[in-house]
Amino acid sequence: MDLSRVRELLESKSYDKVADICDNLMLQVASDGIAYHDDWPYSIHLLAHIYVHDINSARFLWKSIPSSVKESQPEVTAVWKIGQRLWLRDYAEVHEAIRGYEWSQDLQGLVAAFSELYTKKMFQLLLSAYSTISIQDTASFLGMNEDDATNYVLQHGWTVDPASQMFTVKKQPIVTEQKLDPSKLQRLTEYVFHLEH
Amino acid sequence: MDPMEALVAQIQGLSSTPGDIARLHIILKQADDSLRAESTRLSPVLGQLAPSEHSLGFLYVLDAFTSGQISKQQAETSVPIITGFINACNAEQIRLAPEKFVLVCKRLKDQVMMLEAPIRGVGPLLTAARKLQLSTEHLTPLHSDFLMLCVLAKCYKTGLSILEDDIFEVDQPRDLFLYCYYGGMICIGLKRFQKALDLLHNVVTAPMSTLNAIAVEAYKKYILVSLIHHGQWQLSTSLPKYASSVAQRSLKNFCQPYIELANSYGTEKIAELEAYVQTNTEKFENDNNLGLVKQVVLSMYKRNIQRLTQTYLTLSLQDIANTVQLNSPKEAEMHVLQMIQDGEIYATINQRDGMVRFLEDPEQYKTCEMIENIDSSIQRIMALSRKLSAMDEQISCDQLYLSKVGRERQRYDFDDFDVPTKFNI
Amino acid sequence: MDADDETFAPITDEVGTNGGDEQRSRRPIISGDHLDIEAYASLYSGRTKIMRLLFIADHSSDEKVGNPSMNLEALRMAYDEIKKGENTQLMREVAQKINGRLGPSYELDSAWCDAVDHRAEQKKEKLDNELNAYRTNLIKESIRMGYNDFGDFYYAHGQLGDAFKSYVRTRDYCTTSKHIVHMCMSVILVSIEMGQFTHVTSYVNKAEQAPDALDSITIAKLRCAAGLANLEAKKYKLAARKFLETNPELGSHYSEVIAPQDVATYGGLCALATFDRTELKSKVIDNLNFRNFLELVPEVRELINDFYSSHYASCLEYLGNLKANLLLDIHLHDHVETLYDQIRHKALIQYTLPFLSVDLSMMANAFKTTVAELQKELEALITDNQIQARIDSHNKILYARHADQRNATFQRVLETGREFDRDVRSMLLRSNLVKHDYNVRQFRKL
Repeated sequence: MDLSRVRELLESKSYDKVADICDNLMLQVASDGIAYHDDWPYSIHLLAHIYVHDINSARFLWKSIPSSVKESQPEVTAVWKIGQRLWLRDYAEVHEAIRGYEWSQDLQGLVAAFSELYTKKMFQLLLSAYSTISIQDTASFLGMNEDDATNYVLQHGWTVDPASQMFTVKKQPIVTEQKLDPSKLQRLTEYVFHLEH
Repeated sequence: MDPMEALVAQIQGLSSTPGDIARLHIILKQADDSLRAESTRLSPVLGQLAPSEHSLGFLYVLDAFTSGQISKQQAETSVPIITGFINACNAEQIRLAPEKFVLVCKRLKDQVMMLEAPIRGVGPLLTAARKLQLSTEHLTPLHSDFLMLCVLAKCYKTGLSILEDDIFEVDQPRDLFLYCYYGGMICIGLKRFQKALDLLHNVVTAPMSTLNAIAVEAYKKYILVSLIHHGQWQLSTSLPKYASSVAQRSLKNFCQPYIELANSYGTEKIAELEAYVQTNTEKFENDNNLGLVKQVVLSMYKRNIQRLTQTYLTLSLQDIANTVQLNSPKEAEMHVLQMIQDGEIYATINQRDGMVRFLEDPEQYKTCEMIENIDSSIQRIMALSRKLSAMDEQISCDQLYLSKVGRERQRYDFDDFDVPTKFNI
Repeated sequence: MDADDETFAPITDEVGTNGGDEQRSRRPIISGDHLDIEAYASLYSGRTKIMRLLFIADHSSDEKVGNPSMNLEALRMAYDEIKKGENTQLMREVAQKINGRLGPSYELDSAWCDAVDHRAEQKKEKLDNELNAYRTNLIKESIRMGYNDFGDFYYAHGQLGDAFKSYVRTRDYCTTSKHIVHMCMSVILVSIEMGQFTHVTSYVNKAEQAPDALDSITIAKLRCAAGLANLEAKKYKLAARKFLETNPELGSHYSEVIAPQDVATYGGLCALATFDRTELKSKVIDNLNFRNFLELVPEVRELINDFYSSHYASCLEYLGNLKANLLLDIHLHDHVETLYDQIRHKALIQYTLPFLSVDLSMMANAFKTTVAELQKELEALITDNQIQARIDSHNKILYARHADQRNATFQRVLETGREFDRDVRSMLLRSNLVKHDYNVRQFRKL
């Protein structure tokens, strides 16, 4: 079983490619008739799905893992705990699940990258979904203590009302590319021509 | 010379040019029966052939080799041979004997099932289907087996790769039924509900003269997914008039609990729906649809919240909780938050006042991305239209069609056979 | 556009005081709690008078409307009226309903019944002989009159089905337009009593197609009959038109079916429920003919004017007061709730129409309701797409919503594209299957 490709990706921090590579490798290994279950890097595979936010694939992978592996490798179960929290949208619990396990050397990089990514995602979610939000909720969504969370959001221009313990969210203008490529215009003209003739 | 050795020699000698291979094919057909009679001693013969070069010959020998009943232990040796062959074989050669190739691949499927390791067949069957099909529009008999293994091995995402092709050519209707049914299950698993609906729709509207179990099961799932995805389902409009009359007449009789579920959904009352599900849990569980039914119930909260966005500009979380029957404003907030995250509504939550402000869809149809999107839609539809015209032309030149039409010609005017202009672009 | 501004002017002018006003002089509204049965009954004659009284008797025991004294009063009058006629069946019914509650003089008069039935037997025999004689002699006009007499006879004795058949039979022996119209009017009358309103419509049409010009009173009667038929069929807008076209010369000439007061009420309410503002103005308020009818029922006249000038609270109050009486009306009873709902919805819609934003508490005031209730009503109307607006529940303001045509078009186009894509793909697939199936069958045949 040659996992060097996976190691390479992990070392070069190309975490978003790991899931696909693992999927393909697993199919290949399986079709070669190799008894792979005990040696397969399930925790990496599972977390790689979670990293690209493919919770469905993570869920199905978890279901396909033999119970003997789940029992003998507590780290796999620990990774799934993260997936499960995401699946159930227990936003704050995800941070707990990340912090609640002593991750092995192999996984530390990926977990840290996911944690950072998730915090950013949560911040974007708060940004788009709230106009005002309590300090306490902000902290638990971002997985920080209240002081750190306050610092974090103040840097992004939010303001705090000490009396009500509420942040006022500062929306960021959404920049979108609106300039039209002239070739597109040409294409549209052709369509109209096509329709009329 | 031993006839088997002679055959090996012929296979080795006649596997390079198309002419040779055609001659070889005739020889192989004649040798088929004797090969089968020798099936137990073919293992060394396979060893003398290269699957990539002598693909056609290898296929005949492999078919004979695997034709008998085998034990679990024998399967362990046979699976790698078939797998290796599928990976190595020459597509053009095996397409000369597609039935044989399908047969061998189906044996692989049966064997990995026997070994309780469906995942071992997933990769090979995908390769096999790709090698067998003439174009991506062609549905092979292997498609449905591949999808079934994907479902069993829980490799849903791998199954998706083949579902993204548009299928038009079908050898056997049954292949299509199973392909669409398993494909529907995979799309449901990955929450691609629109795609799932399209696939299931194909099953229930397919021409059929007698009702089959696949259509019934597909119809049940079709009802549930319609509720989840569109928030409504009506008996009167669910089957278009082009669906077979047997489907229109009898499908509903086999899906009564589902139709009643949809009616209950239509009342927009969550408590009623939950009560109905509660009393019928067993029926849904027996159909393996309980998970979907639960998603139906959850979707009603979303639907009711979405309805509010059409009516209100601002609404308190308390009012939302009351209207959609959630236990607390906090619960309502979480529902709204999830829907914002999924892009199902546009809104901002104001925690200080406990209010939600519903916004209009910010899409202005001005971005380059959107133009790109529209452009690709136009391209796709133009390609489809061309296909439609080609098909129309093909049918109007089809001998069988013309002879049928010819017999009825006295009864109609010429104009009656004109193709509707509706779809001409 | 000028015209529009003018029409809407009163709304904006009075928005602050709309409905909630104390200064506006208010005419006393005749309370509907006690229907003057005697006055009401005096508007009608013949069978409808009896049936309307019996209807009141039956429905005055409803919780919503009723009081028991009305019930007895109506039965007593019905009894008196029946005794004037020859319908022993109705006599037995009414006596049973009275059940001795009105003393000995209102018990079942068996002697009277026997005498009437006996006379009826004789009369029937006589009519039968006469008709047979006419038929042997083949005198068309006499046969027609013979059947007509039979129709009258059956009608008087409450055998409506036979009466209907007899009248219809005269049709083959009609020689003049006048005969045809007479036949039609008889059939219409019986059909209304039977509740067979499809017959009413078709015989109204027949009468209107008669070659000779009809007199204005007959035309008015036909309009009323058509109006009733449309009302029963819940075609309120058509009903409104028919009643509004009725010529006031009708007077009490059609008292065996309808009173001019009914024309005002039925027509007014149907118009209010279904007409838009301009129609209401041109076809009802400025309609000189109809004004004559409206004078007979000032409440209806007032509430229509109130509606038009956006005094919704006052309008709704009039309606509320009238409701009890309307529920006792044999023809309107089944339609009161629907018409009232429609009128209220129209009022709500019309109130919001000219504004970009509406203060809900002011609006609730105008409709004499609470903000919470109003919000529910508006929610239903918005969901139904009858009001294009959204509610700011936080500040209790309703904002008009103007759909962005450009975005909506894009959305629709993309959706249509997706549908087309799906439909064509599945169609191609199906046609392949059909072809396959056909090939297989062909193959089997060979």
